[in-house]
Amino acid sequence: MATAAVRLQRRTVGIRRALAPIAEARGMARTMLWVGTGLTLVFVLLAIFAPILSPYGFDQYQSGGHRFAQLAHPSHSHLFGTTVQSTDVLSRIVWGAQTELEVVGLALAFGLVIGVPLGLVSGYFGGALDRGTVLFMDAMFAFPPLLLAIVIAFLLGGSVNSGVLVAALAITITYVPQYFRVVRNHVISVREEPYVEAARALGAKPFTILRRYVFFNVVQNVPVIATLNAADAVLTLTALGFLGYGVQPSQGAEWGYDVSRAVSDAASGIWWTGLFPGLAIVLLVTGLTLLGEGLNETINPVLRRRTIARVDFGAPSLEPPSEILEP
Amino acid sequence: MHVRPRLRHLAVLGLAGLALAVVGVTAAQSKPLHSTASTIIDGTTDTVTNVDPAGNYDYGSATVDLLVYQHLLDYPEGHRSPTPSLATGCTANAAQTAWTCTLKKGVKFSNGDPFTSADVKWSFDRVNAIKDPSGIYGLISNLKDVTTNGDYSVTFNLKTPQSTWPFILTTGAATIVDHKVYPADKIVANTDTKNLVGTGPYVLSKFTPGQQAVFTPNPNYDGSLGSVKNGGVIINYYSKSSTMKLALQQGTIDMAFRDFTPTEYAALGKTSGITVFKGSGVVIRYLVLNVKRPPTNNLAVRKAIAYLFPRQDIASRIYHGNVQPLYSMVPAGLPGHVNAFGELYGLAPSTAKAKAVLKAAHVKTPVKLTVWWTPSHYGDASADEYTEIQRALNASKLFKVTLKSAEWATYSKTLGTQYGAFQLGWFPDYVDAEDYLVPFYASGSNFTSNGYKSAKMDALLHQEQGAKSTAQRLSIVQQAQMIAAKDAPIIPYWQGAMLAVGRSDIHGIQGTLDPTYLMRFWEITKS
Amino acid sequence: MGTQSSSLKRYALTRLALVVPMVFILLTLVFLLMRVAPGNPVSAALGGHAPPAVIKAISHQLGYDKPVYVQYGHYLGQIVRGNFGTTISDRRSVGSIILVNGAATLELTFFAMIIAIIVGMLVGLVSGRFRDSPLDTGGRLFGIVVYATPVFFLGLLAQLVFGTWLNWLPTSDQASPITQALMKTHTNIFFLDAIIDGNWSAFWDIVKHLILPATTLGIVYGGVFIRLIRVNVIRTLKEDYIEAARARGINERSVVYHHAFRNALVPVITVVGLQLALLLGGAILTETTFNWPGLGHELYVYLQNRDYAAVQGIVVVFALVVVAASIVIDFANAFIDPRVRY
Repeated sequence: MATAAVRLQRRTVGIRRALAPIAEARGMARTMLWVGTGLTLVFVLLAIFAPILSPYGFDQYQSGGHRFAQLAHPSHSHLFGTTVQSTDVLSRIVWGAQTELEVVGLALAFGLVIGVPLGLVSGYFGGALDRGTVLFMDAMFAFPPLLLAIVIAFLLGGSVNSGVLVAALAITITYVPQYFRVVRNHVISVREEPYVEAARALGAKPFTILRRYVFFNVVQNVPVIATLNAADAVLTLTALGFLGYGVQPSQGAEWGYDVSRAVSDAASGIWWTGLFPGLAIVLLVTGLTLLGEGLNETINPVLRRRTIARVDFGAPSLEPPSEILEP
Repeated sequence: MHVRPRLRHLAVLGLAGLALAVVGVTAAQSKPLHSTASTIIDGTTDTVTNVDPAGNYDYGSATVDLLVYQHLLDYPEGHRSPTPSLATGCTANAAQTAWTCTLKKGVKFSNGDPFTSADVKWSFDRVNAIKDPSGIYGLISNLKDVTTNGDYSVTFNLKTPQSTWPFILTTGAATIVDHKVYPADKIVANTDTKNLVGTGPYVLSKFTPGQQAVFTPNPNYDGSLGSVKNGGVIINYYSKSSTMKLALQQGTIDMAFRDFTPTEYAALGKTSGITVFKGSGVVIRYLVLNVKRPPTNNLAVRKAIAYLFPRQDIASRIYHGNVQPLYSMVPAGLPGHVNAFGELYGLAPSTAKAKAVLKAAHVKTPVKLTVWWTPSHYGDASADEYTEIQRALNASKLFKVTLKSAEWATYSKTLGTQYGAFQLGWFPDYVDAEDYLVPFYASGSNFTSNGYKSAKMDALLHQEQGAKSTAQRLSIVQQAQMIAAKDAPIIPYWQGAMLAVGRSDIHGIQGTLDPTYLMRFWEITKS
Repeated sequence: MGTQSSSLKRYALTRLALVVPMVFILLTLVFLLMRVAPGNPVSAALGGHAPPAVIKAISHQLGYDKPVYVQYGHYLGQIVRGNFGTTISDRRSVGSIILVNGAATLELTFFAMIIAIIVGMLVGLVSGRFRDSPLDTGGRLFGIVVYATPVFFLGLLAQLVFGTWLNWLPTSDQASPITQALMKTHTNIFFLDAIIDGNWSAFWDIVKHLILPATTLGIVYGGVFIRLIRVNVIRTLKEDYIEAARARGINERSVVYHHAFRNALVPVITVVGLQLALLLGGAILTETTFNWPGLGHELYVYLQNRDYAAVQGIVVVFALVVVAASIVIDFANAFIDPRVRY
């Protein structure tokens, strides 16, 4: 009982300490944090309360027996106008927020679940296993991420029915190498720390050490990377949608797909079908980026001092921009 | 501060690398255009697989071939049936198992080689020898062999009697090439333009895959398809119709043929200085119903779908009148067409009749139905078309439709082997009712894998192929359409117009828009 | 000097030795990704037209029904012999695709990179120099928003504004059709070809066609440079030798421009290489938006046709370019800064 209470106390102290920098954030970092949180929150709320907030369903084309006009200008009944399918642009944006966040949430979860343990084990045990995994991950890294996502989405599209799942998996595969690399490199530096050495000397089992000492130390980095990756993931998802892969139009509203359909509208001077979903993408990604960068500056003085991440020997230096976490 | 000179070294190294990367690339064969002012610049979203006629079975390549090659029989402007071109005429024996054609004398290929019966035999033999993966050789699968009788007569010996052989002679598989230039068992590469010689109106003078094909008038062309009325043709290839539309509006291209989205056609129709030309078309779209899989294995369900099908809404709402509702697999305007579905199920959808037919068969409603469609192959509007179908069927409360889509490569491999109801389109190999019936309803050649097999239908179609007179043939064709509508394994729903768009200084487009679906560029002029 | 060059050599050898297994893994990945998917080029070309038996027969004739491991062996054998193969749908040699369409991608990415660096430098330097001022806030915000804008959306806006409304600039292709039809081919890089021929009207036409695609791609990737250059300027301005220079009474302007900025730019080289993968990814979107006949555009088209040979060839080239760039960057860094060689 006592130990549990101590552990709980230790944990709350830990959380408070972790949150302290946010409260202490000053100046630009603070503004970025607040604006980023605000923007992200808006989209999260849109997603959660889509059924209430959205004027119509994402594929609704009539109301009260009256069919909506095709490609109608923005007006008071359709604030952002209507599409070629007579659906309401605003409603598709609101429901689209749900699709985007669902996919990105899933992709992040998958990415973390696969990438973090792999990085922990590979970094801690080292040896041939480590070298092999690093080589494999580097090979994956050599693909332009979008290219990899396209090929994966294309491949899974035939066999997996849920477009959300297809898109999430395609994005996951492009981000696993990043989580892997960040975690692994951090583990390598932590591995030789005195307290880990001490635990090892006391006869702790490797997995206990990993779980108790290494994991918590390393996992601090993850929220920042995850937030920045979420921003990237939205961009990848919308790019997939734009090219016609990933979430299929009958399964949900997706901004990238809407922009792709709007390309032919734009050539005819119809601007509202493309502009609004496009702006939604820009705002959500901006929000997530601001949040990530704000967190990065406040939470993580280690990263702040880091120079450009030099990659360990042998690996091609293909750090994505989100890893060059600099204020 | 040692950084600077080193940076400079690096810059020099980088530039040298760039230069190395680009040097040593051979220049493509190119002859300059004679007159750029009278050159017609066309835009298209079609693609070209192989220019060599033995290696293509797609519309984009066929359009290029039309400019470069001829057949024994062709369709010059104003002709709707096979007309002597390189042949002076073709006749069949009594059994219709051998067709003999006499050839025109004095015709030369663009490189100066004379045209003789050896070229005809060579052309057919190499199509069968190459057996290109495009499958073009399938068109002449009924051909046993070709025999020459002197320089100016050839006989086609067939495996089974075929009254429509002259139509086959107008297809890509029957294109005539020069036997001195084309290898017997290999396709000539697209960029090897000096070896892509034919007898047609133009010479392909430059080909950049995926970007551009440049045609200059063929000095040796004998004018049998009509004289060349412009200084040359450039076909510019686009992957998105929206960029092609902007290019047309900006005057980068003079005309565009195939294909814009319905929204774009509508907008172009309202643009000043641009005209959308419309001719009757032969492209059709249809929904295949699997007669082996539930729920469409139940005839009542198929009939209910036929009663509910929103043909008018699709034609007006989705395609803005650029397609017309179709009530038979054989398009309206073709000899032998009957409004089969219209007669049996009515021209307008009827929920009451659909309900009655389901009730009579004791089918529990709503019927759950998964409908498959493919996003890119049949144009962007497919998404809207199938949304419309889903809405119509669901609105009747008799069906609960789920839409599913798959990328074309996967989709085209699967079809009836796994899908219960699915979208397809058809572009005929030759414009005759036969080509709208045999590939779909004859159990031996049904490519949709929807499991349809009817002894009565098979017997009719067999009779049709060996029919002695056109009247007899057309009467069989009409009977077959009625059976097809009654069994409803396929629901045809629209027939497209042939659309081309031109700027105001381009003339002669309208004349070439007829059911043969050929863009005769040589008839087009620029003022 | 002797030790320096020998350690550089050792570094180079080890670095290169590691490329082999990596390329092997890449090739295998590409193969698996392409072959596991259902459908093959024959069904893509003939499906919906020919009976299944015919499709099966042709697939057999071309060996698409052989076990995957047999196909894999054949594939590796071909690549080892330097034969990337011929596309199935239109019989182009993959080598020529890479030369012709690769040249278009090179042209686009080269100018996009220049624009990205210019935008990044201007905004990044100003932001870093005037840290925490409103200029800095504006600069950073610009960087983030620009990064958050999908290439295809910016392309759409550019088409709408410059193509549809203002009608100032061409929105597709590398050159107008007539220019392209009349041009002689030397290098496949259009603007170089025009210069070689001294064909200035063609050159101007080509430049006009480059403006929208290169600017679109360049601005979006400029966002990354803004972030990086700003940070480096801030850091460099704090370095000891800058302080020393200040202490020596050298005026601030000279300190900033002659010392700080120059050194702040060194890491940019690294990032130019790092960004190549992203830039190529962005090129796929830019090329499809502007009908730019580069590798990304071709890849998109061939992927639709399930043309294994073409997709494998293009993907492998993309990946090899990225690997090669990273090696070059590593060497460049090792050359400039010996500390990098660990």
